[in-house]
Amino acid sequence: MYIWFMANSKLYKGSLVTIILKLLNESNKMYGYEITQKVKELTRGELKITEGALYPALHKLEAEGLLEVEVKKVDNRLRKYYKLTEKGNKETVSKLQELQEYIKTMQVLVNPKLSLE
Amino acid sequence: MKISQDEIQDLYAFTRQHFVEHYDLQTELVDHLANDIESIWIKQPKLYYREARDKAFKKFGVFGFMDVLEKRHKAMNKKYIKYLWLEFKKWFALPKLLITLTVFIAFYTAFSTNMASYVLVLSYGLIAIWCIFKSIQLNRQFRRRKEKSQKKWMLEEIIFKQAGGSALILISQLPTWFRISGDYFDSYGFIILISIFSTLFVLWMYVSFELLPNKAEDLLNETYPEFSL
Repeated sequence: MYIWFMANSKLYKGSLVTIILKLLNESNKMYGYEITQKVKELTRGELKITEGALYPALHKLEAEGLLEVEVKKVDNRLRKYYKLTEKGNKETVSKLQELQEYIKTMQVLVNPKLSLE
Repeated sequence: MKISQDEIQDLYAFTRQHFVEHYDLQTELVDHLANDIESIWIKQPKLYYREARDKAFKKFGVFGFMDVLEKRHKAMNKKYIKYLWLEFKKWFALPKLLITLTVFIAFYTAFSTNMASYVLVLSYGLIAIWCIFKSIQLNRQFRRRKEKSQKKWMLEEIIFKQAGGSALILISQLPTWFRISGDYFDSYGFIILISIFSTLFVLWMYVSFELLPNKAEDLLNETYPEFSL
């Protein structure tokens, strides 16, 4: 299964959940297609979330109680929106901290001089 | 250009053709495909609906909806286990705890007699008959519900069709239990252990075959906001 439809896919593979949580944290509620488009727009097409990776991640987060759903009729169809729960808000903070720590550590390894300044 | 109502119905049929039978997942995929088709039409307005649909579907990869379907099932099973556990836990708090203790004492007393091996086979045999009866009954209920609503929900199918399935495998080992149990019924430790196990087993069966199916309506409403739409 393709997790990310881009050249350096492996580097981004573990961050899908964090990206979803962060986007939902900023937008209150979003639907699946909207998330794929938002990531594409923010990264100017550099990063594309595949459908085969997005929905399993959303369903898993929902089953874990981090997301809750809301369904609305939009145009002529039903649309499922995802929202963060209280548990999801806490998890977002912790996931973002984790990611920042990771970036810091990578910075030390990749560019030691810069990190000492 | 916006997608028409007939095209929405075609998308539902399209997801069914690609092995997505459950309405909850179909609805989400239909909306996704519809959004993508409309966005494809912005760039290529002359593209026929079916061409745009196939283009949108290709983005799901070589396995189509299979990955999404498989992971959705896994996630829904997790949710089912959570509901099962929430109901199961109530039997260890008052007032239901009194019933749990009564069942335990009944098993302990029965397994302390010199007919313990026969009691074991008889009690588990009765549980097995009840489970098979309930399985058939729930399957029929599920079929009737599906015919009435013309929709199938994943959690509903798990509640009505998978209830206590693994327990029947355990019960099928009854002759082996009978052969080996005779040697251990002299030990108090073994009698306590088998009484605890039997109590938990009876509760698990009762929750999955009786309580959760009775609460199906509430659980489905809680899981799927679109259930009552």
